[in-house]
Amino acid sequence: MFVLLAVGGGLGSAWYMIEAGSRLSTQSSGPWTTWSAAGRPDADPYTRAHTARNGLLPLASTLEITYQAKADSRGGRLNSGCEYTIVMENLGATWWSLAAFDGQGGLIQNAAERYAFNSDSVMREPDGRAIITLARDARPGNWLPIGGSRVNLLLIVQDPAWAAAVYEGNAKALPPIQRLACR
Amino acid sequence: MPKPPKWLREVGWRTVIGALLLGGIIHILATMAVPFVSSGHAFTRLQASLPLNRMVLLPPPAPGKQALPFLAPDALYAMCRYDISVDLLAVTAPMAETGWTLSLHTPQGDNFYVMPAQETRRGTVSLTVVPSAERLSEFAATPRRVSAQETQVASPSWEGLVVVRAPLKGLAWRAETEAALRRASCTPLKRN
Repeated sequence: MFVLLAVGGGLGSAWYMIEAGSRLSTQSSGPWTTWSAAGRPDADPYTRAHTARNGLLPLASTLEITYQAKADSRGGRLNSGCEYTIVMENLGATWWSLAAFDGQGGLIQNAAERYAFNSDSVMREPDGRAIITLARDARPGNWLPIGGSRVNLLLIVQDPAWAAAVYEGNAKALPPIQRLACR
Repeated sequence: MPKPPKWLREVGWRTVIGALLLGGIIHILATMAVPFVSSGHAFTRLQASLPLNRMVLLPPPAPGKQALPFLAPDALYAMCRYDISVDLLAVTAPMAETGWTLSLHTPQGDNFYVMPAQETRRGTVSLTVVPSAERLSEFAATPRRVSAQETQVASPSWEGLVVVRAPLKGLAWRAETEAALRRASCTPLKRN
Protein backbone atom coordinates (compact mmCIF):
# COMPACT_ATOMS: atom_id res chain seq x y z
CA MET A 1 0.00 0.00 0.00
CA PHE A 2 2.79 2.38 1.02
CA VAL A 3 4.86 1.70 -2.10
CA LEU A 4 1.82 1.76 -4.38
CA LEU A 5 0.73 5.13 -3.02
CA ALA A 6 4.24 6.63 -3.29
CA VAL A 7 5.19 5.31 -6.74
CA GLY A 8 1.72 5.71 -8.26
CA GLY A 9 1.23 9.17 -6.87
CA GLY A 10 4.74 10.34 -7.73
CA LEU A 11 4.77 9.07 -11.30
CA GLY A 12 1.13 9.91 -11.98
CA SER A 13 1.46 13.49 -10.82
CA ALA A 14 4.72 13.90 -12.78
CA TRP A 15 3.05 12.56 -15.94
CA TYR A 16 0.13 14.97 -15.51
CA MET A 17 2.37 17.99 -14.97
CA ILE A 18 4.53 17.06 -17.98
CA GLU A 19 1.72 16.26 -20.41
CA ALA A 20 -1.12 18.56 -19.42
CA GLY A 21 0.83 21.30 -17.65
CA SER A 22 -0.45 23.64 -14.98
CA ARG A 23 -0.51 27.34 -14.21
CA LEU A 24 3.13 26.95 -13.13
CA SER A 25 4.27 26.18 -16.67
CA THR A 26 1.50 27.14 -19.10
CA GLN A 27 -0.58 30.20 -19.98
CA SER A 28 -3.97 30.16 -21.64
CA SER A 29 -5.86 32.63 -23.79
CA GLY A 30 -9.31 31.29 -24.57
CA PRO A 31 -8.84 27.82 -26.11
CA TRP A 32 -5.13 28.50 -26.80
CA THR A 33 -2.45 27.25 -24.42
CA THR A 34 1.29 27.86 -24.47
CA TRP A 35 4.18 26.49 -22.45
CA SER A 36 5.46 29.92 -21.55
CA ALA A 37 9.14 29.00 -21.11
CA ALA A 38 9.36 26.54 -24.03
CA GLY A 39 12.76 26.31 -25.69
CA ARG A 40 14.51 28.50 -23.14
CA PRO A 41 17.62 27.08 -21.47
CA ASP A 42 16.29 28.39 -18.13
CA ALA A 43 12.89 26.71 -18.59
CA ASP A 44 11.30 24.98 -15.62
CA PRO A 45 11.74 21.18 -15.36
CA TYR A 46 8.15 20.45 -16.45
CA THR A 47 8.55 22.46 -19.67
CA ARG A 48 11.91 20.81 -20.44
CA ALA A 49 10.43 17.36 -19.83
CA HIS A 50 7.37 18.19 -21.97
CA THR A 51 9.60 19.33 -24.85
CA ALA A 52 11.84 16.25 -24.65
CA ARG A 53 9.08 13.68 -24.21
CA ASN A 54 7.04 14.95 -27.15
CA GLY A 55 9.94 15.34 -29.56
CA LEU A 56 9.41 19.10 -29.92
CA LEU A 57 11.99 21.60 -31.08
CA PRO A 58 10.58 25.01 -30.11
CA LEU A 59 12.34 28.30 -30.60
CA ALA A 60 13.00 30.20 -27.40
CA SER A 61 9.86 31.88 -26.14
CA THR A 62 11.76 35.17 -26.05
CA LEU A 63 11.31 35.33 -29.85
CA GLU A 64 8.17 33.42 -30.69
CA ILE A 65 5.28 31.83 -28.85
CA THR A 66 3.72 28.54 -29.89
CA TYR A 67 0.09 28.02 -28.89
CA GLN A 68 -1.89 24.83 -29.14
CA ALA A 69 -5.67 24.42 -29.13
CA LYS A 70 -7.53 21.15 -28.69
CA ALA A 71 -10.98 22.68 -28.21
CA ASP A 72 -13.07 25.47 -29.69
CA SER A 73 -13.96 28.64 -27.77
CA ARG A 74 -17.05 26.94 -26.30
CA GLY A 75 -14.98 24.07 -24.95
CA GLY A 76 -15.97 21.39 -27.47
CA ARG A 77 -13.17 19.05 -28.61
CA LEU A 78 -11.99 20.00 -32.12
CA ASN A 79 -12.99 17.32 -34.59
CA SER A 80 -13.48 17.00 -38.32
CA GLY A 81 -17.23 16.44 -38.00
CA CYS A 82 -17.57 20.16 -37.37
CA GLU A 83 -16.69 23.33 -39.25
CA TYR A 84 -14.84 26.17 -37.55
CA THR A 85 -13.76 29.67 -38.38
CA ILE A 86 -10.88 31.74 -37.04
CA VAL A 87 -10.53 35.43 -37.79
CA MET A 88 -6.92 36.50 -37.62
CA GLU A 89 -6.80 40.18 -36.75
CA ASN A 90 -4.89 42.54 -34.51
CA LEU A 91 -2.08 40.03 -34.07
CA GLY A 92 0.43 42.66 -35.13
CA ALA A 93 3.09 39.97 -35.23
CA THR A 94 6.16 39.98 -37.45
CA TRP A 95 5.12 36.54 -38.67
CA TRP A 96 2.44 34.03 -37.70
CA SER A 97 1.46 30.53 -38.80
CA LEU A 98 -1.69 28.48 -38.17
CA ALA A 99 -1.52 24.72 -38.82
CA ALA A 100 -3.86 21.76 -38.30
CA PHE A 101 -2.60 18.43 -36.96
CA ASP A 102 -4.12 15.17 -35.80
CA GLY A 103 -4.07 14.22 -32.11
CA GLN A 104 -0.48 12.94 -32.29
CA GLY A 105 1.00 15.95 -34.09
CA GLY A 106 0.87 14.38 -37.56
CA LEU A 107 -0.29 16.24 -40.65
CA ILE A 108 -3.79 15.54 -41.90
CA GLN A 109 -3.92 13.93 -45.34
CA ASN A 110 -5.90 16.00 -47.86
CA ALA A 111 -6.13 16.27 -51.64
CA ALA A 112 -5.29 19.97 -51.62
CA GLU A 113 -2.00 19.21 -49.79
CA ARG A 114 -2.72 22.18 -47.57
CA TYR A 115 -1.70 21.98 -43.94
CA ALA A 116 -1.27 25.57 -42.78
CA PHE A 117 -1.61 29.26 -43.50
CA ASN A 118 0.85 31.93 -42.49
CA SER A 119 0.88 35.72 -42.55
CA ASP A 120 2.43 35.65 -46.03
CA SER A 121 0.32 32.93 -47.63
CA VAL A 122 -3.15 33.81 -46.32
CA MET A 123 -5.67 35.82 -48.39
CA ARG A 124 -6.85 38.94 -46.59
CA GLU A 125 -10.07 40.93 -46.57
CA PRO A 126 -9.91 44.58 -47.68
CA ASP A 127 -9.73 45.58 -43.98
CA GLY A 128 -6.65 43.41 -43.39
CA ARG A 129 -8.38 40.58 -41.52
CA ALA A 130 -7.80 36.99 -42.57
CA ILE A 131 -10.73 34.59 -42.20
CA ILE A 132 -9.67 30.94 -42.05
CA THR A 133 -12.26 28.17 -42.31
CA LEU A 134 -11.49 24.70 -40.99
CA ALA A 135 -13.62 21.98 -42.54
CA ARG A 136 -13.38 18.48 -43.94
CA ASP A 137 -14.72 19.54 -47.36
CA ALA A 138 -13.61 22.43 -49.55
CA ARG A 139 -14.78 25.91 -48.67
CA PRO A 140 -14.26 29.22 -50.49
CA GLY A 141 -11.45 31.49 -49.25
CA ASN A 142 -8.81 30.32 -46.79
CA TRP A 143 -9.87 26.69 -46.38
CA LEU A 144 -7.75 24.63 -44.01
CA PRO A 145 -8.69 20.94 -44.41
CA ILE A 146 -9.18 18.84 -41.27
CA GLY A 147 -9.83 15.14 -40.80
CA GLY A 148 -9.83 12.34 -38.27
CA SER A 149 -11.54 12.23 -34.92
CA ARG A 150 -9.23 14.63 -33.12
CA VAL A 151 -7.76 17.88 -34.41
CA ASN A 152 -5.07 19.98 -32.78
CA LEU A 153 -4.33 23.51 -33.94
CA LEU A 154 -0.91 25.10 -33.67
CA LEU A 155 -0.52 28.87 -33.77
CA ILE A 156 2.99 30.32 -33.90
CA VAL A 157 3.36 34.03 -33.24
CA GLN A 158 6.82 35.38 -33.98
CA ASP A 159 7.20 38.76 -32.34
CA PRO A 160 9.65 39.60 -29.52
CA ALA A 161 7.26 42.29 -28.17
CA TRP A 162 4.45 39.73 -28.00
CA ALA A 163 6.78 37.22 -26.33
CA ALA A 164 7.77 39.82 -23.74
CA ALA A 165 4.10 40.57 -23.04
CA VAL A 166 3.41 36.85 -22.54
CA TYR A 167 6.34 36.65 -20.14
CA GLU A 168 4.91 39.57 -18.16
CA GLY A 169 1.46 37.98 -18.24
CA ASN A 170 -0.34 40.68 -20.24
CA ALA A 171 -0.43 39.37 -23.81
CA LYS A 172 -3.19 40.43 -26.19
CA ALA A 173 -6.17 38.12 -26.59
CA LEU A 174 -5.89 35.49 -29.30
CA PRO A 175 -8.53 34.94 -31.99
CA PRO A 176 -11.44 32.76 -30.86
CA ILE A 177 -12.17 29.44 -32.58
CA GLN A 178 -15.84 29.63 -33.52
CA ARG A 179 -17.76 26.46 -34.25
CA LEU A 180 -20.11 27.06 -37.19
CA ALA A 181 -21.89 23.73 -37.66
CA CYS A 182 -21.55 20.02 -37.03
CA ARG A 183 -22.77 17.06 -39.05
CA MET B 1 -13.42 17.86 14.56
CA PRO B 2 -14.35 15.47 11.70
CA LYS B 3 -13.05 11.92 11.98
CA PRO B 4 -10.56 10.86 9.31
CA PRO B 5 -11.86 8.22 6.86
CA LYS B 6 -11.63 4.56 7.87
CA TRP B 7 -8.93 3.67 5.33
CA LEU B 8 -6.72 6.45 6.66
CA ARG B 9 -7.15 5.21 10.24
CA GLU B 10 -6.20 1.68 9.12
CA VAL B 11 -3.14 2.77 7.16
CA GLY B 12 -1.86 5.13 9.83
CA TRP B 13 -0.82 8.73 9.43
CA ARG B 14 2.89 7.92 9.52
CA THR B 15 2.47 5.71 6.44
CA VAL B 16 0.55 8.41 4.61
CA ILE B 17 3.12 11.12 5.39
CA GLY B 18 5.95 8.73 4.39
CA ALA B 19 4.19 7.85 1.12
CA LEU B 20 3.64 11.53 0.32
CA LEU B 21 7.30 12.33 0.95
CA LEU B 22 8.51 9.38 -1.12
CA GLY B 23 5.96 10.22 -3.84
CA GLY B 24 7.29 13.78 -3.91
CA ILE B 25 10.85 12.55 -4.33
CA ILE B 26 9.78 10.17 -7.14
CA HIS B 27 7.85 13.05 -8.79
CA ILE B 28 10.92 15.32 -8.77
CA LEU B 29 13.34 12.62 -9.93
CA ALA B 30 11.05 11.47 -12.75
CA THR B 31 10.52 15.05 -13.99
CA MET B 32 14.23 15.90 -13.91
CA ALA B 33 15.21 12.62 -15.62
CA VAL B 34 12.86 12.82 -18.61
CA PRO B 35 15.01 15.19 -20.77
CA PHE B 36 17.99 12.87 -20.34
CA VAL B 37 16.42 9.40 -20.55
CA SER B 38 13.56 9.99 -22.99
CA SER B 39 14.07 8.17 -26.27
CA GLY B 40 11.51 10.34 -28.02
CA HIS B 41 13.20 13.72 -28.01
CA ALA B 42 13.85 15.61 -31.22
CA PHE B 43 17.64 15.02 -31.30
CA THR B 44 17.21 11.23 -31.09
CA ARG B 45 14.51 11.22 -33.76
CA LEU B 46 16.67 13.24 -36.15
CA GLN B 47 20.01 11.54 -35.42
CA ALA B 48 19.65 8.79 -38.04
CA SER B 49 18.74 11.13 -40.89
CA LEU B 50 21.35 13.81 -40.21
CA PRO B 51 25.02 13.11 -40.99
CA LEU B 52 27.48 14.77 -38.61
CA ASN B 53 28.57 18.36 -39.29
CA ARG B 54 26.73 18.67 -42.59
CA MET B 55 23.71 20.78 -43.45
CA VAL B 56 20.84 18.72 -44.83
CA LEU B 57 17.77 20.13 -46.55
CA LEU B 58 14.81 18.15 -45.24
CA PRO B 59 12.03 17.12 -47.65
CA PRO B 60 8.90 19.30 -47.43
CA PRO B 61 6.66 18.18 -44.54
CA ALA B 62 3.96 15.74 -45.70
CA PRO B 63 1.59 13.35 -43.88
CA GLY B 64 3.54 10.40 -42.48
CA LYS B 65 6.86 11.98 -43.53
CA GLN B 66 7.34 14.66 -40.91
CA ALA B 67 10.73 14.98 -39.29
CA LEU B 68 9.13 15.87 -35.95
CA PRO B 69 5.59 16.12 -34.53
CA PHE B 70 3.96 19.55 -34.54
CA LEU B 71 6.66 20.94 -36.84
CA ALA B 72 5.22 23.93 -38.73
CA PRO B 73 4.35 22.48 -42.18
CA ASP B 74 4.36 25.80 -44.04
CA ALA B 75 8.13 26.02 -43.93
CA LEU B 76 11.18 24.25 -45.31
CA TYR B 77 13.96 23.23 -42.96
CA ALA B 78 17.71 22.75 -43.24
CA MET B 79 19.34 21.04 -40.26
CA CYS B 80 22.86 20.20 -39.19
CA ARG B 81 23.72 17.79 -36.37
CA TYR B 82 27.00 18.95 -34.93
CA ASP B 83 29.72 17.67 -32.63
CA ILE B 84 32.35 20.22 -31.59
CA SER B 85 34.41 17.91 -29.39
CA VAL B 86 37.15 17.81 -32.09
CA ASP B 87 36.64 20.78 -34.41
CA LEU B 88 34.62 23.96 -34.15
CA LEU B 89 31.71 24.55 -36.52
CA ALA B 90 31.30 27.33 -39.08
CA VAL B 91 27.66 28.05 -39.88
CA THR B 92 26.35 30.18 -42.74
CA ALA B 93 22.67 30.76 -43.37
CA PRO B 94 20.69 33.10 -45.61
CA MET B 95 18.06 35.19 -43.84
CA ALA B 96 16.06 35.92 -46.97
CA GLU B 97 12.62 36.96 -45.72
CA THR B 98 10.69 37.83 -42.58
CA GLY B 99 10.01 34.65 -40.60
CA TRP B 100 13.32 32.98 -41.47
CA THR B 101 15.24 31.89 -38.39
CA LEU B 102 18.60 30.37 -37.59
CA SER B 103 18.55 28.53 -34.27
CA LEU B 104 20.87 26.33 -32.22
CA HIS B 105 19.60 23.63 -29.86
CA THR B 106 21.13 21.25 -27.33
CA PRO B 107 20.27 17.52 -27.57
CA GLN B 108 17.72 18.13 -24.78
CA GLY B 109 15.92 20.69 -26.98
CA ASP B 110 17.10 23.90 -25.28
CA ASN B 111 17.27 26.72 -27.83
CA PHE B 112 20.37 28.59 -26.67
CA TYR B 113 20.71 30.88 -29.70
CA VAL B 114 18.26 32.23 -32.26
CA MET B 115 18.64 34.80 -35.02
CA PRO B 116 15.46 35.94 -36.82
CA ALA B 117 15.37 37.68 -40.19
CA GLN B 118 13.89 41.14 -39.90
CA GLU B 119 12.87 43.88 -42.28
CA THR B 120 16.02 45.77 -41.40
CA ARG B 121 18.36 42.80 -41.18
CA ARG B 122 18.41 40.49 -44.16
CA GLY B 123 21.29 38.83 -45.92
CA THR B 124 23.62 36.02 -44.94
CA VAL B 125 24.47 35.26 -41.33
CA SER B 126 27.80 33.62 -40.46
CA LEU B 127 28.86 32.39 -37.05
CA THR B 128 31.17 29.93 -35.37
CA VAL B 129 29.89 27.46 -32.79
CA VAL B 130 32.46 27.05 -30.03
CA PRO B 131 32.42 25.15 -26.72
CA SER B 132 31.28 27.17 -23.72
CA ALA B 133 33.98 28.32 -21.28
CA GLU B 134 33.27 25.37 -18.96
CA ARG B 135 33.54 22.89 -21.82
CA LEU B 136 36.67 24.56 -23.17
CA SER B 137 38.46 24.11 -19.83
CA GLU B 138 37.96 20.34 -20.26
CA PHE B 139 39.78 20.58 -23.57
CA ALA B 140 43.58 20.79 -23.52
CA ALA B 141 44.16 22.45 -26.89
CA THR B 142 44.76 26.17 -27.23
CA PRO B 143 41.64 28.09 -28.21
CA ARG B 144 41.48 29.27 -31.79
CA ARG B 145 42.29 32.92 -32.46
CA VAL B 146 39.38 34.87 -33.83
CA SER B 147 38.98 38.14 -35.65
CA ALA B 148 36.93 40.98 -34.24
CA GLN B 149 34.32 40.54 -36.99
CA GLU B 150 33.66 36.89 -36.29
CA THR B 151 30.52 36.02 -34.33
CA GLN B 152 31.07 33.20 -31.88
CA VAL B 153 28.25 31.32 -30.21
CA ALA B 154 29.11 29.22 -27.17
CA SER B 155 27.40 25.85 -27.14
CA PRO B 156 26.62 24.48 -23.66
CA SER B 157 26.93 20.91 -25.02
CA TRP B 158 29.40 19.16 -27.33
CA GLU B 159 26.57 17.98 -29.56
CA GLY B 160 23.54 19.82 -30.85
CA LEU B 161 21.43 20.91 -33.78
CA VAL B 162 21.54 23.89 -36.12
CA VAL B 163 18.14 24.59 -37.66
CA VAL B 164 17.35 27.02 -40.47
CA ARG B 165 13.62 27.52 -40.94
CA ALA B 166 12.36 29.08 -44.16
CA PRO B 167 8.61 29.83 -44.21
CA LEU B 168 6.82 29.23 -47.50
CA LYS B 169 4.67 31.99 -48.93
CA GLY B 170 2.93 29.38 -51.06
CA LEU B 171 3.65 26.51 -53.44
CA ALA B 172 4.71 28.92 -56.19
CA TRP B 173 7.62 30.07 -54.01
CA ARG B 174 8.85 26.59 -53.06
CA ALA B 175 11.64 26.36 -55.68
CA GLU B 176 12.88 29.85 -54.87
CA THR B 177 12.82 29.21 -51.10
CA GLU B 178 14.53 25.83 -51.55
CA ALA B 179 17.28 27.40 -53.67
CA ALA B 180 17.90 30.05 -51.00
CA LEU B 181 17.88 27.45 -48.22
CA ARG B 182 20.45 25.32 -50.09
CA ARG B 183 22.97 28.09 -49.47
CA ALA B 184 22.91 27.26 -45.75
CA SER B 185 25.99 25.33 -44.66
CA CYS B 186 27.84 24.02 -41.65
CA THR B 187 31.47 22.92 -41.88
CA PRO B 188 34.05 21.80 -39.31
CA LEU B 189 36.70 24.40 -38.50
CA LYS B 190 40.13 23.56 -37.06
CA ARG B 191 40.72 24.90 -33.56
CA ASN B 192 44.17 26.39 -34.23
